[in-house]
Amino acid sequence: MRDPVTLAIVSSASALVHARLLSTLHAALPRVGVLDPGVFACDLAGTEELLGAPARVARRVLARCARVGTQVSAGIAPTPFVARVVAERTPAGEVRAVEDGRAFLASLPLDVLPVDEKVREELCLLGLRVVGDFAELPRGAVFDRFGSAVARAHALARGEFDDMVRATAPPRRIRARRAWDDAIASHEQLVFALRVVVDEISAVLARDGLAALRLELRLDREDARPLHIERSVLPPTRESTALLRSLRWALEERAEVGLVTGCALEVPEVEAARGRQIGLFAPDGARQEEAIATARYLRAKLGRGVVLRARVADADARLPERASEWLEVIA
Amino acid sequence: MGESGLANAIARIEGRFGVHALARGETSERHRSEIVIATKTSLDHLIGGGLVAGEPLAFVGPPSVGKLSLALRAVVGAQLQGGTVAWVDPTASFDPRAAECAGVNLERVIVVRAPRDAVALAAAAALRSEGFRLVVVDAGDPAFGGVDVDDLAPALPAVRGSPAAFLVVAAKRGRRVAVPAFVFERLAWERRFDRTVGWSFSVEGTRGQSPLDRRALFCLTDGALVDLGTRADLAEVAV
Repeated sequence: MRDPVTLAIVSSASALVHARLLSTLHAALPRVGVLDPGVFACDLAGTEELLGAPARVARRVLARCARVGTQVSAGIAPTPFVARVVAERTPAGEVRAVEDGRAFLASLPLDVLPVDEKVREELCLLGLRVVGDFAELPRGAVFDRFGSAVARAHALARGEFDDMVRATAPPRRIRARRAWDDAIASHEQLVFALRVVVDEISAVLARDGLAALRLELRLDREDARPLHIERSVLPPTRESTALLRSLRWALEERAEVGLVTGCALEVPEVEAARGRQIGLFAPDGARQEEAIATARYLRAKLGRGVVLRARVADADARLPERASEWLEVIA
Repeated sequence: MGESGLANAIARIEGRFGVHALARGETSERHRSEIVIATKTSLDHLIGGGLVAGEPLAFVGPPSVGKLSLALRAVVGAQLQGGTVAWVDPTASFDPRAAECAGVNLERVIVVRAPRDAVALAAAAALRSEGFRLVVVDAGDPAFGGVDVDDLAPALPAVRGSPAAFLVVAAKRGRRVAVPAFVFERLAWERRFDRTVGWSFSVEGTRGQSPLDRRALFCLTDGALVDLGTRADLAEVAV
């Protein structure tokens, strides 16, 4: 079994610094998770042969961060929690490694543990001031008295809770371009020509197990400036049919698109593809999502009170308006 | 031929004949049982087994001859295959009680009360979606907010290649668009104790369309649809 090693990187929490650091870490390390804004946990287990000793890796990362103008501190420990605490107590630009997480935490105040303020006060009333005192308590008694959340903090205090680093996918530019010799003037031709581009994007998404959240389309035009179209894809999907439909609707909202000579389609935002829940005993249950997407489109185009679902409220009612209820398909 | 050459060639074909002129292999090779929606009535014998995905069909006839009753049977057939149905209803005349009595699962019917000028848009959007098995347009009476079959012309290019069958229920045939139509004709009223309790009607394809030039005969009594089978000669029917 591999030895868990985590490198925590802590910096100031501005959004710009966060984004810059995240891309730097993604470029340097294989598994990077975000704990908080400006705080990252990197799983180094099994990377020693490839990247070198964790301390060396940490120094290299600090140097990279310094090159992008950010001073960070680094902590190396067996678990993400301890590594983070170590990094937070290390001056910027330095690396500190801890082998025994429990021993390191023992002398620290209870504030480092993720427990509720009231619980902390209660522990203080019991005479527990530092993490070491809390860690000495029997595990079962802590669980019985305080519940599972505090039991988890207790495991962290003993350096036992080996939480996994939940890696974030590095941002990717998924895009495809086409240029056409003959300018395209009609919507239908353009939609067809876009199908090839969308298929290419869809194949990349499928290969990487991703689903598109947003689409950005740029249409290069012979007779006008480029036309930029942005679409949100809800629910996120990688299916070319759904992506093409979204673009088709966007184009149909424009009476004229001009003479289009090329296009560039990009997916600026993705998320991990999720499985579709297929209704049991209903071969087309998976198509329900598509039907709802169409209903959403029609509601956006035609307004409220148009796309409806009916329900029989009282089959014996004398007045027809009391017999049935009409509900918006998309609330 | 390279990828771009092929794309250009296909773009030209589609520019000339419409976007659905070409279909991908998996679409065109769909098993017939997946694309035919059977109404499980004698109508199926007339229309070649049932409504077919990617093909339009019209039920034409005066009011109260049973067009909607058979359209609801088609809805049930589509739902039996697990599909969802879009019902475009410009005159807001869809009756949930009648639909439920006919066996329709209302949870899987989306009713679009599109205004007259948006009926074609709603039908086209539903047909282009992969989410519906059947798209029904109840055209209604143009004098009361309904539409003519001709007004649906913009939606017709979306029918071919669609996974949904397209059914139009209208009073008259279109003059400018060619949608295969089946004519509904009332044969007789059924009366009991001086009260009208139902009627019988026949459905007939246009000349040369229905096999053996037959008619499908039905009787509606107390709200229940009775299938009398197909006959070549109406005289044999006892109503």
